Amino acid sequence: MTTTLYLSNDTSARAAGADRLAHAWAGERDLQMVRTSSRGAFFLEPLVECDSPAGRLLWPRATLSDLPRIRAGIGGVQLADVPFLAQQQRFVFSRFGQTEPLSLTQYRAHGGWQAADRVAGWSSERIIQEMKASGLRGRGGAAFPVWNKWDIAQRTASDQKYVVANADEGDAGTYCDRMIMEGEPFRLIEGMLICAKAIGADCGYIYCRWEYPAAAETMRAAITEAERAGVLTVEGRPFRLEVFRGAGSYVCGEETALLSSLEGGRGMVKVRPPYPAVAGLYGKPTIVSNVLTFATVTEIVSRGAAWHLALGTERSKGTVALQLGGRIRQPGLIEIPFGATLREVLERFGGGMADGGRFKAVQVGGPLGSLFPESQLDIPLCFDAFNDAGAVLGHGGIVVFDDQTDMVELARHYMTFTAEESCGTCIPCRIGSVRSRELLERIERGQGTPVDLELLADLGETMKATSLCAHGARGPYPVLTAIEHFGPEFRSRLRNIDP
Amino acid sequence: MTERVRGALTVLLSAHRPEPGRRAHILSVLSAVQEAFGYVPTEAVPLIAGTLAVTEADVTGVLSYYPDLHTVPRGRHVVRVCLGEACVANRSTALLESLCHEVGAGLGQTTSDGRLTIERVYCLGNCAVGPTVMVDEQIYGRVGPEELHTILESHP
Repeated sequence: MTTTLYLSNDTSARAAGADRLAHAWAGERDLQMVRTSSRGAFFLEPLVECDSPAGRLLWPRATLSDLPRIRAGIGGVQLADVPFLAQQQRFVFSRFGQTEPLSLTQYRAHGGWQAADRVAGWSSERIIQEMKASGLRGRGGAAFPVWNKWDIAQRTASDQKYVVANADEGDAGTYCDRMIMEGEPFRLIEGMLICAKAIGADCGYIYCRWEYPAAAETMRAAITEAERAGVLTVEGRPFRLEVFRGAGSYVCGEETALLSSLEGGRGMVKVRPPYPAVAGLYGKPTIVSNVLTFATVTEIVSRGAAWHLALGTERSKGTVALQLGGRIRQPGLIEIPFGATLREVLERFGGGMADGGRFKAVQVGGPLGSLFPESQLDIPLCFDAFNDAGAVLGHGGIVVFDDQTDMVELARHYMTFTAEESCGTCIPCRIGSVRSRELLERIERGQGTPVDLELLADLGETMKATSLCAHGARGPYPVLTAIEHFGPEFRSRLRNIDP
Repeated sequence: MTERVRGALTVLLSAHRPEPGRRAHILSVLSAVQEAFGYVPTEAVPLIAGTLAVTEADVTGVLSYYPDLHTVPRGRHVVRVCLGEACVANRSTALLESLCHEVGAGLGQTTSDGRLTIERVYCLGNCAVGPTVMVDEQIYGRVGPEELHTILESHP
């Protein structure tokens, strides 16, 4: 009898060894391998699964020699026995780990494409009303109400409108967009089609960063498949959808820079207003939203706005996709309602520190996010609590650092990144980041003075107050929060004598 | 630029002439040139500008802006160590340093035998199984110094 094994085809699963297993077992008799999306429990990868009378059985961290046991059904664990998976409340990621990413048939069979079918009989206003009722805020970092953008674009008269998926997920420590594009590409397409219908667009782009080669390839194949199946349409007319590859610029994740890049030029930030919803790509009304936002739109239309509104906190509705990384035992993606504290998440899902390391700090929200020490872990994970704390939830990336981390070196690393990736449009970011980096280099070398720390704080405040976009305005946060919470480390590196 | 490269470039560019009424798409053209030749020869800039009916300054502006566009040939293999925070937390900075030391080339440099170019990348979205190293288009996870050694040996 042929045994069917399920292995994820996700980049991280492959990087962790799923490909190695698949290649080695390719010649085995009576063995069939299905490459699925990933459950996101990356600490378990390579994760091999097999059907059993009691449901799927999982063999975490499988090795080549495990094949006989897997075939015999020995040693497999059930999903419910993996707390990391069992304790989540998955909606957007509910099917992950089960289906083959490029099978539209399987996507439909598991409840996909219901949203696209449902909006067929809806008006633009009805769709926008549904978004408003759901309380959906953009998941890319800015957390702007989705309905509001759509409403503006819908009301702006134009011969041409665009829908753009921002797949330039550049925040280090985040990977949920990559997982969606590689694992459930039709979910993104479905969300984009709903938006297109709501605003009256017939053309869209997926702006994918070059660091995600597999995601771009999967999206292209999915678009071809959707076209072939005749479902890439809006109001019965073809919807032209293309994947566009970026070329390594972090700032291109900012919407105006992204559009400049998509037009073929330098990806530099522009002054807003006008906002893209009024005048975006080629000056036409354009909705730019990140991948997870469109993926959530699909879920909202298929489950109804009330489902989304019922989850989360007062002003952060729905679920949050958190991506755990760094020095923890159980890195991976989790989906839970907004509102759990950072401490709960790290304890319940993170599983403690890796290799006996001790906790030092955690960063939330990517390279522009703040650092939190142990004493601040009780902050609830939602837009407003973070906003009140002067921090950002950003794209949901959570990176844990252990006590071996040199905070001065880390702060210098952050500012090097901010300086290297500044687009150069505005002076506070272009010059402020380079000067801050230089000051941090001096402190790292043991040549800094107390005045340098004052200068850093001053430059930081200027960047925060006067930069054009979040890159410059948020860039100082990791450095300033590092100094705030780990001040002695910085001060002990200063020269003893003032100049 | 040899005559052969010039010829190939001319053929390539003929497929990228801007459509009437459409703005020239400089980034797409430069990406296509890099894909064909491995880099964008600076001598090609006047030819590209001429074909697209834009100024050389326009082309140079885009070429100099994007970190992934290169104006000099690189090694047979490009090794990129991820310096995103999740990888940094897992000591990828030290991994990069030991790599540079082992192959005798600094960041952004190519080994004297032309085999490897060492670069850094900020996040490949492989954060949960880092530290991450990318060799050409292949992404490796949980890479320690020993694994890196084995990976490099498999790319002669």
